[in-house]
Amino acid sequence: MIKQTFKRRWNSWIGRRIPRADTQVFSQKNIFILPTGAGVVFGILLLIMLITGINYQNSLIYLLTFALGALFVGAMHQTHRNLSGLTLALVQAGEGEAGDDVPFRFRVSAGKDSGLAILLAVEDSKLEGVHVPSEQSREVVLPIPSAHRGYLRPDRIRIETRFPFGLLKAWSWLRPTSAGVAYPRPIPAPEVLSQVEDGSDAKKEAKVAGQENADLRPWREGDMSQRVMWKRFARSGQMVVADWEGEQGSPHWLDFNAFPGVDTELRLSYLAWLVADRLQQGARFGLNLPGEAIEPDTGPVHGERCLKALAVWGEQPPREQDALAFGTRKAVDGAAADRVA
Amino acid sequence: MSRLADFFSGRSTSDTPVNTIPRGALVWLIGSFVLLLLPQLNRLPWWLVAACAVLAGWRWLAQSGRIRLPGRWLRTGIMLVLIAVYIGTVQGRFTVDTAASFFVLAVGLKWLETRSARDFYVLFFILVYLSAVNFLFQQDILWAILTFAAIGCLLIGLQILNAPDLPDSMKSGWKRLGLLLVKTLPVVVLLFVFFPRMAPLWSVPLVSGEARSGISDTMRPGDISNLAQSSERAFRVTFGGAPPAYRDRYWRGLILDYLDGETWRQRDAESYQRPGRVALDGGVGALASNQYDVLMEPTDQRWAFSLENSMAVSDNVFDAGEDLFRFRRPADSAVRYRLAVEPGQVQNNQELSPAMRQRYLQLPSDSNPRARELADELAAAYAPDQVVNELMTRFREQEYFYTLRPPAMPRDGIDALLFEERRGFCAHYAGAATFVFRAAGIPSRVVIGYQGGDAGAGDEYLIVRQYDAHAWVEVWLEGRGWVRVDPTAAIAPSRIEFGLREAMAEEGSFLENNFTSPQRYGDLAMLQWASLQLDRINYHWQRWVVGYQGQSQMNLMSRLPGGIGMRELGYITAGLVGFALLVAGLVSALSMRRGARQDGFRRVVSGWHRLCEQAGVPVRSGETPGALAERLAQARPAVSETARIFARTVNSHYYNAPSVNNEGEDARRLRRLLKTMKRQLKRGDEPEPGPRTPLHD
Repeated sequence: MIKQTFKRRWNSWIGRRIPRADTQVFSQKNIFILPTGAGVVFGILLLIMLITGINYQNSLIYLLTFALGALFVGAMHQTHRNLSGLTLALVQAGEGEAGDDVPFRFRVSAGKDSGLAILLAVEDSKLEGVHVPSEQSREVVLPIPSAHRGYLRPDRIRIETRFPFGLLKAWSWLRPTSAGVAYPRPIPAPEVLSQVEDGSDAKKEAKVAGQENADLRPWREGDMSQRVMWKRFARSGQMVVADWEGEQGSPHWLDFNAFPGVDTELRLSYLAWLVADRLQQGARFGLNLPGEAIEPDTGPVHGERCLKALAVWGEQPPREQDALAFGTRKAVDGAAADRVA
Repeated sequence: MSRLADFFSGRSTSDTPVNTIPRGALVWLIGSFVLLLLPQLNRLPWWLVAACAVLAGWRWLAQSGRIRLPGRWLRTGIMLVLIAVYIGTVQGRFTVDTAASFFVLAVGLKWLETRSARDFYVLFFILVYLSAVNFLFQQDILWAILTFAAIGCLLIGLQILNAPDLPDSMKSGWKRLGLLLVKTLPVVVLLFVFFPRMAPLWSVPLVSGEARSGISDTMRPGDISNLAQSSERAFRVTFGGAPPAYRDRYWRGLILDYLDGETWRQRDAESYQRPGRVALDGGVGALASNQYDVLMEPTDQRWAFSLENSMAVSDNVFDAGEDLFRFRRPADSAVRYRLAVEPGQVQNNQELSPAMRQRYLQLPSDSNPRARELADELAAAYAPDQVVNELMTRFREQEYFYTLRPPAMPRDGIDALLFEERRGFCAHYAGAATFVFRAAGIPSRVVIGYQGGDAGAGDEYLIVRQYDAHAWVEVWLEGRGWVRVDPTAAIAPSRIEFGLREAMAEEGSFLENNFTSPQRYGDLAMLQWASLQLDRINYHWQRWVVGYQGQSQMNLMSRLPGGIGMRELGYITAGLVGFALLVAGLVSALSMRRGARQDGFRRVVSGWHRLCEQAGVPVRSGETPGALAERLAQARPAVSETARIFARTVNSHYYNAPSVNNEGEDARRLRRLLKTMKRQLKRGDEPEPGPRTPLHD
């Protein structure tokens, strides 16, 4: 309990210290520096050496101890300077399939001092050994693991350096505002055609045979207005939608409603697969989602648009003030842990 | 603490591949290990050096993938075998020496386990401590430089470990390290001078079990001639006044008063004393004209060497009786002590007690009949002092030879020496003369120590070397006390007047087996000069750096104004550390500010961003200045006009062609605008002043 409170306080303190921005310049204000495990052991070693020097009245051991101690302090300065003046900018928050690593592209620019052996990390994903000479910049790609489809925005991206001796580490964070996108993971869909008809021709609807086989179900958000049985509504005041079994939809439309009874995420996965499939065939297709429809078109740009729509369907874009991570494994695990607790 | 726990709980060291340690880092680590072993080579058992070479070589070959590192079982096996051999070698003696060997063994074994960065750090720590241990044994300036170089290699290795793919990492690493050292040097020097030299916290185990060259407390006829092959330094002496003449430079060390067969030894073993704490202080301040400083190389023994009629001045030596001096603790590292020559102080004319007389007349029964016969003849014919003179005359006038190549004299050695072979070294003649004196009823004893000493560079001090080791005789003469009698002076006066080199010039046996000694090549002036200069540097290093201890520090401090005691030194040290940290912080803060000042423009813009945030308009990333100004204008109409001008200025700065000095002009203008906006905001925040109402109607 205390630990959680402490953690919350710590997080909010960091939040104040490092405001959300896609670009962060590191300076004394936001760089943290502490000895590493090796640094702590080194300190203990220096103490032991000092005691050895005292007990044997050995001037050279004194000298060695002082030299190494001063070097340690010098290294603190050096490690700090290695990070300070550096600018980390999120250039492009990438896109990828849910469960895969989504590439985020960053630009690291050095100021007056060069930044050597920089590490970028989000949770378990790491990118080591980025060297940026002074007054230059490097573009790097850090793959960030995604847990599910939707917006993907890590709360903090850690930038760390232990150069030169690994006895101290200086670190800070970038708290990006931009979010990447994780597409639904494609799952081969059973071949079902869209129920959306070309031209939304009301006459056709009546002509379709086998109306007896209609599956009647209450209206729910996202159902197209053409599909509501208005006659019945006029009669009873209930909005009922008919899922026509024998309905022949247009092959140009990929429809959210084509998979009755299937879980939403699975539908989205099916649709993602279908989008990929159509793209591969070079076919012309449109995407129909409850509340959103993308007109039929072809080409990779269109495909990307469709995938993105699938990815963020029903998701809220992360708000700027929100301290939580979005869509990363940590966020999901953390939520699960909270539920268990 | 959890970080510490992480550090020690190595995770899955055995499955990680070998190549997680960059090749370059490993090279420097192994290099530094080799450098750190060099000063210890003559101390370590040969098998340990061999094992270390094999293990480090194994690790190196494994790095290049030619062989594999051993699996767990083989590794455990190797470890057990080596530790068993080690235990067999040390046989339960626990000294700093054996502990140091154990350190070396630990490093050797660790090579097979060096797979991850964590192992690398473990080795780094052990090697750093090993270098400190080296300083316990070797304090010469060259060894010190070597050890510091090894530390430098370690630090280069660490840098490569932390940035393996950095191009040109070695050169930049040395440069970085050098700069770091130069920057921290003043602090290191000040700390070294001012850090209070506390007394040892507890007494520490002794360095022992190591064979050192030097005189020992027993003397067999051939013993000292072995030492004559060594040109190692025994000690160096600085005199307050003029040094005594060469022939008077008798450095007394031990008295051997008991003849056991062929071997002379001390009748009473040196009284055991609990090992005290280390006290290397050897007196401070200028030498009085009758005083002399001895800087002695480690002997692991308690005896100090002194001229006749000396008195202890520094308190790390004490008078042990019979005009001999002893340390309070075996000299396990170079030690300096101070004595004064006070001829009147030692009473020579007291009576010799019967017990003492008996002690100095002791002889083993029935050996060397011809020597006894000679003694009887002399005793019958002469008074004791004349007996002494007669024997010396015999040595001087008859054909006796002083040689480093004496023949073997296995049975009745003294008879053989005196009457047949007539060839021997100082130990032979001293032993034989004492035998004859005792047989003639004159109390006498063998004294061993050194005789001679050559001037060092610049005539600052005398260097006494192992080949100056010498044995002579003291006899008790009624009314005169103990009198020095040196048979060598009678046989080979040049040995006493000029040293062993002159005495052996004809025979050519001076350092004949010691090819590496510069002293062997006395005719090469350059070599002699260089060797003496090096010795001088070392002397001052020993005297002022290595020997900078509590009393020297107090002495130096007492010369500074204001009484500086131990406590003040503590304050100074703490102040120094604080001051150094402060300076480092200031320097970095200043350099940050300087960096910021270069881009005053950007600073004004970020000031504007802050103002917007305060005014409740969060800055969005990627927003143009114009858009931000619009939003600000909407939120706070009071500043709308100024904000728009500000945004225009920023835009024109970014998009217009840069002219030479509009940078500063733009920034200045923006600053003015920013100030205006702040003012406007503040005014806007105040409640609208209501319509003026008259105070009184």
